[in-house]
Amino acid sequence: MRHVRGFDVVKPLSVTAMIAIMFPLVLLPLASIFLFGTSKGLGSFWAALTAPEAIFALQLSMVTSFWATVFNVIFGLFASYVLSRYNFWGRNALIVIISLPTAIPTAVAGFALLLLWGPYGTLGRLIAPHGVQVMFTAYAVILANIFVTFPLAFGVIKPVFDTMSRSLEEASATIGATRWQTFWHVTLPSLRGAIVTGALLTFARAVGEFGSTILVSGNLANRTQTAPLYIFAKFNEGQVEAANAVAIVLALFSFAIFSVLFFARDWLDTE
Amino acid sequence: MQPEEITNIFSSEVAEPVASPAAATSVRGVSKSFRGTVVLEDIDFDVAMGESLVLLGASGSGKTTILRIIAGLEEPDTGRVILHGKDVSELPARERGVGVIFQAYALFPRMTVERNIAYGLRIRRRPRKEINETVDELIKLVRLEEHRHKYPSQLSGGQQQRVAIARTLAYKPQVLLFDEPFGALDAQTRVRLRREIRILLKHINVPAIFITHDQEEALELGDRIAVLNAGRLEQIGTPDEVYNRPETEYVATFLGAANLLLGVVTGGGVEIGTVNIHAPEETARFREGQSVKLVFRPEDVYLSRSGALPENCQRLTNGVVEEIHFVGAYERLTLRLDLIARQPTEGAPPLYSVTINTNEKRTGIPIIVTRPKPEANSTRLQPGDRVAVGLTAFRVLPNFALASERAGSIVDIHKTT
Repeated sequence: MRHVRGFDVVKPLSVTAMIAIMFPLVLLPLASIFLFGTSKGLGSFWAALTAPEAIFALQLSMVTSFWATVFNVIFGLFASYVLSRYNFWGRNALIVIISLPTAIPTAVAGFALLLLWGPYGTLGRLIAPHGVQVMFTAYAVILANIFVTFPLAFGVIKPVFDTMSRSLEEASATIGATRWQTFWHVTLPSLRGAIVTGALLTFARAVGEFGSTILVSGNLANRTQTAPLYIFAKFNEGQVEAANAVAIVLALFSFAIFSVLFFARDWLDTE
Repeated sequence: MQPEEITNIFSSEVAEPVASPAAATSVRGVSKSFRGTVVLEDIDFDVAMGESLVLLGASGSGKTTILRIIAGLEEPDTGRVILHGKDVSELPARERGVGVIFQAYALFPRMTVERNIAYGLRIRRRPRKEINETVDELIKLVRLEEHRHKYPSQLSGGQQQRVAIARTLAYKPQVLLFDEPFGALDAQTRVRLRREIRILLKHINVPAIFITHDQEEALELGDRIAVLNAGRLEQIGTPDEVYNRPETEYVATFLGAANLLLGVVTGGGVEIGTVNIHAPEETARFREGQSVKLVFRPEDVYLSRSGALPENCQRLTNGVVEEIHFVGAYERLTLRLDLIARQPTEGAPPLYSVTINTNEKRTGIPIIVTRPKPEANSTRLQPGDRVAVGLTAFRVLPNFALASERAGSIVDIHKTT
């Protein structure tokens, strides 16, 4: 390629090519949910969105994802603390096991939970006589969400723990703080960025979870149907607008989370 | 620093009767190994109330480990730590009440200057009023009034260190431990802060232990200096004692530069080659014929072209000036002494041997001499000049095995580090 006065022709060409590849693969599909969803006017979009079943599905997704996030962030913190502060036999094996759910297909995860907690499952069989059923309830959705998002918060928090200077905690101890005070006043504030990032990642992933939820929830409208399941069910029933309205909300939601992660990075990392 | 305020803060503490006024901090027989490697061996020392002790040693000498053991951040294998008469060996760090100024200060990055200083009082759940008053006093003491709402990352190294000191003073520590306190600072700030800390410590009457590998820092900061080598305490004493009367070769060469000449004790003196240095007092503790080293500092050598030496000066031998360097404050010369190594008699074990550190065929033992400017100017010397060499001060130290190959060579800390 010839360079004309510092003008490199490769640059505009390669940028154009890149966008051209992304267009049908990523940008158009995203655009189409917005184009289709609003094609019959905002009124019908709003009506589809405020249908009781749709509202329930969105709420259920938020609530189950919320509790899965709370659990996984607290566990991730705890596990990071234990695994980066103490050295013991089997430590590396535990790190691998915690990270394992990333590699397991979500359908397999849901199936595994069914086998354990289902009416004939190893644990399910024991609690069924007491009238307790976990599967096909909102709790099953939470369990599935916890399983598939298990390593996310841990994966973000652990590296920060590893690189954190021990002298801060030692300084706190010599000043007279108990372990708990040190953790609360010194360690935790330094982890703030990692905790927020880990929580957002976990939450975003849980809200979108489909494969495992459809197996363990039973996909019961107004009872265990999460937003992704609602989209799937409505689409199968031919109610494309209903599916589309919820799809738009989920898409916007993930944009929001992504923006926070992307633009608030500096704020999260430093003061 | 404002001395009055410093005294105010600690006045209540000072007024209290101290159970054992002699030793504020005692380390008794402390040993420590890491995975089979001995890091500290039977360390024993006391620090008096208001005294500052400097632990001086090369990296790996174990000085940081001693500090961590006193602070309770590390457990010794054997030995005890006693603070103000109380055995704290079994107490965790947080119950010992020591103030540690960490190497990189370890300020809490998400807390302002104020909150950093208040931390010790906040976790002790002191009343808000008391916290505010103490913080105000300490901020004034370390002159950070206009920085009180800043975060550590917005402060200079010196300012951060002042915050770190104020943070420990807030809870009135029993002893202050400084871990390489000036390592991260530029040369000018280092000198200034050293003076400031020295003044501060004189007023608060809290014992302090410093860790450093910098001999100049040790001499300036310490009321006493403890020289550590490979986990052992080589010597502990005032700066004057360790510098002018080193007890081991290591101390002599680690603190400042020193020339070492191998010799044997003969008739109340040290015989080096063809010369006998008269030193009845110095050699009294050695037996006749024992292999020793004559140790003298480059500045304790007097050179005379005429051959006449002042009265307080012990004649060593003659020598030839080999090199002259002007190094700012003084002149540095390399000299070759007219000393011929005495050969051991046939069959008898060698008493001593002298190796000359050079590939060239040159005779004589090289030494290093420094001369202050006035002396250098009044007696100008050129390479090749013959001079009489006298010593104004020297030490006689036992010659331990394996050190013989260093005899006659020049050990110069200024140059090698």
